[in-house]
Amino acid sequence: MKQKVLTAFGLLVAFATILFCLGLPGSKAQAKTYQIGTDVTYPPFEFANKQNKYVGIDIDIMKAIAKEEGFKVNVKPVGFNAAVQSVQSGQLDGIIAGMTITPQRKDKFDFGTPYYKTGAVMAVKKGSDITSLKQLKGKKVALKTGTAAADYANSLKKKYGFKTVTFDDSDNMYQDVTTGNSVACFDDQPVLQYGIKHGLKLQIATKPANQGWYGFGVKKGTHKDLVKKFNAGLKKIQANGTYDKIVGKYLGTSSNSKVKGKTFVIGTDVTFPPFEFANKNNKYVGIDMDLIRAIANEQGFKVKIKALGFNAAVQAVESGQADGVIAGMSITNERKAQFDFSKPYFNSGVVMAVASNSKIHKLSELKGKRVAVKTGTSGADYANSIKKKYGFKVVTFDDSNNMYQDVSTGNSVACFEDHPVMQYAIKQGTKLKIVTKPALNAPYGFAVKKGHNKALLQAFNTGLEDLKASGTYDTIKAKYLGADEIKTAAKTSGNSAEDRTFIGLIKQNKGALLSGLQETLWLTVVSIFFATIFGVLVGLMGVVPNKFSQGTSTTLIYLFRGMPLLVLALFIYTGIPSLTGQKIPAFVAGVVTLTFNEGAYIAAFVKGGIEAVDPGQMEASRSLGLPFGKSMRKIILPQGIRIMVPSFINQFIITLKDTSILSIIGLLELTQTGKIIIARNLEGFKVWTIVAAIYLIIITLLTWLSNWVQRRTKV
Amino acid sequence: MSEKVKVTNLVKTFGDNEVLKGINLTVQNNEVVVIIGPSGSGKSTLLRNLNKLEEPTSGSIVIDNVDIARNDVDINSVRENIGMVFQHFNLFKNLSVGENIMLAPVELKKETKDEAEAQAKKLLETVGLQEKFDATVQSLSGGQQQRVAIARALAMNPDIMLFDEPTSALDPEMVGDVLEVMKKLAKQGMTMVVVTHEMGFAKEVADRVVFVDDGQILEEGTPEQIFEHPKNERLQDFLNKILNV
Repeated sequence: MKQKVLTAFGLLVAFATILFCLGLPGSKAQAKTYQIGTDVTYPPFEFANKQNKYVGIDIDIMKAIAKEEGFKVNVKPVGFNAAVQSVQSGQLDGIIAGMTITPQRKDKFDFGTPYYKTGAVMAVKKGSDITSLKQLKGKKVALKTGTAAADYANSLKKKYGFKTVTFDDSDNMYQDVTTGNSVACFDDQPVLQYGIKHGLKLQIATKPANQGWYGFGVKKGTHKDLVKKFNAGLKKIQANGTYDKIVGKYLGTSSNSKVKGKTFVIGTDVTFPPFEFANKNNKYVGIDMDLIRAIANEQGFKVKIKALGFNAAVQAVESGQADGVIAGMSITNERKAQFDFSKPYFNSGVVMAVASNSKIHKLSELKGKRVAVKTGTSGADYANSIKKKYGFKVVTFDDSNNMYQDVSTGNSVACFEDHPVMQYAIKQGTKLKIVTKPALNAPYGFAVKKGHNKALLQAFNTGLEDLKASGTYDTIKAKYLGADEIKTAAKTSGNSAEDRTFIGLIKQNKGALLSGLQETLWLTVVSIFFATIFGVLVGLMGVVPNKFSQGTSTTLIYLFRGMPLLVLALFIYTGIPSLTGQKIPAFVAGVVTLTFNEGAYIAAFVKGGIEAVDPGQMEASRSLGLPFGKSMRKIILPQGIRIMVPSFINQFIITLKDTSILSIIGLLELTQTGKIIIARNLEGFKVWTIVAAIYLIIITLLTWLSNWVQRRTKV
Repeated sequence: MSEKVKVTNLVKTFGDNEVLKGINLTVQNNEVVVIIGPSGSGKSTLLRNLNKLEEPTSGSIVIDNVDIARNDVDINSVRENIGMVFQHFNLFKNLSVGENIMLAPVELKKETKDEAEAQAKKLLETVGLQEKFDATVQSLSGGQQQRVAIARALAMNPDIMLFDEPTSALDPEMVGDVLEVMKKLAKQGMTMVVVTHEMGFAKEVADRVVFVDDGQILEEGTPEQIFEHPKNERLQDFLNKILNV
């Protein structure tokens, strides 16, 4: 029976496929003219020029795509709302009208690939020294009614303390700023840019906020071929420069100046010498670092390097927390699904390394042995791909140093690592040796999230070419790997100059350790503050005689106590931005994580502490006519808090220790500081001892303090 | 004499367990009613319904012409006029003796702090503990705690007092002091409902004795009727057990 159903289903699928294949060429063959609706006037996207001909970014893009893909379009300026309705009723085939892609619109429309990113920016009078929102305090700001930028400005009004004055059209708004009545105005970025290009005496002072994408839309479920053509054509005109030319024509920008002056957040690995590592002064250096800085310099943009660790950096780019990642990242087909890569900037390959006194020198000797790899690297991929063939086991580490250690201590017999990385580590004194030739030649690339930050990627490619031409590229490479990559490896070792005793290590890293400690303490204090508020509130909700409130309390405790801190941290840091598109600073994400996690524990013992008070106390108080709230405040809480004090102190100590987990999202607290120092000097044992000692000292002090408090609150 | 409390058809269930099975009871002004009965018979539950520490399942409890069993009654203001004394005293452990007595009058804005203090001292004198005003609750013996608890209940000037086995948790030598205070109150004309096993107290002080068993009132009458000429078989049985130990 089952067989029959399956066969029938198979036939049906085959039949449908044939129909589909037959149908496609038929529709393609028709040389049809598509009717596309657009707005009447929305410069620089669509407007009538002096000759009363409709031009603008939207219109030119649509025409260029049509030309590229060999179809005809008739763009009709019917007005935005009319265009939307006509598409829905089938009178028009599509709409391109500076239409922001929103979830609501997605219910009614199918959108092509987003073709223009827009956002609200603040503009000030040319030559004004106002560069940030903070400087608006007490000042007057001009807005245009009903615009997204006005909504945005109004949402900031309270926070930054400025006054707003509203105009009905853009010209008057701009005028109010140029005359100095208002100090700034808010408008959509391309609209302002266009105005400035056409003589407006303003300058843009902030980065675009509240960003959204414009998209080409068709009625949902129809015109699949048109969307396909639009996407293909868009890709082509973006690749061949037509797109940039069009945008440049109206906004006076080329791809280069698109990145000019902007700051990009670039994620990288914590430990991946010689590509990225902290030097003695705790500044990030390495081939990747020098390269991205040189390119940024050359192309006129700024970079903010964030050493998040490889996995976190990759996730940060995916979630939009970082704009790009440069972290000795091999270009693989798998990764190409998620990222757009630059041209390769370094050719690497995977080598096998063994302990310097090991006799193993080829893969076939690994049978039945254990091999160490680092998660997410091509070395790991390579090892996993051959482990069956050669019959070895694979153990995975999160950073290189631990992996080397595992081999040098003999836990594992070998590790797989990128060739230059291994070379550099050995040069720095790691007691390993390379025994195989580089396999799996893999080029390294700079990556951005697929479909995003195109300008940055292009700037990287252009910059890389320039650096190669000028010889800077070779200088950087030679700096870390030596002119002749292998021969110099054994020679110069910057490390020999460093004092490797405990005292020496402390002296050298005093600054880094202190600032790490400071971050840890600050994180602890802020988190405890919010966790206590959250915890007490949720705890109290749990004892109020109201089913809904008790249910909420129980659920919150269950949710946040049940989730591993690590998962919660990653979820908040990388998950929330993916959902909302809003970046969260790592520190805020860290505080939020601890607030929820520690707060849930606090809530549990606040609830428990109150419930531990003899119920007779509440009855006696209520029998005197005191209301519930008053009884709680005067009788139950004072007794409950005494029960809770030891738990509170315990929780504070746990919070302090838990901050170390937040190193996963790249917070430069004590643990992360330790990791970075070790990445440079590979003195794992000594540095971890120092870090452990610092934690112990702080916790001892905290324990003393807590004992003192406990004595004072004793019943 | 006029009716102070009128309980009609009071039923209280806990889940499937019917603890009170239709109680009808009237308490007159200035009357002292003593409720006796075996353990688990429902006497304490009945008492705790009278100030809604237990929510009645059905029936009515009319106090001063207000049915407090209804949901729209402001139970806090009703409780201000009903003093309650518990088996385990339930003094507030985070407050001193004086503060225990002053808390309700001050918090509910019935008296200023000074007035409340003067009254607290007077009440402590009444219960024979004038020197304990500043003492901590933990430093008092059980009997002393129970007398403070009575003073605390009296601080709100209630016109009815409920006693829930006030001497059951006390050492035998402490019982006398507490009963003395209660007798004094009865003599002053306080309306009292007392759940107790102290049959001597019942005989001497009660205007009426009510025998409760299995959630029902099986017999009520003067102490003489109840103790000397009990009619109900279960009452006879109960008295036999309790008096011939």
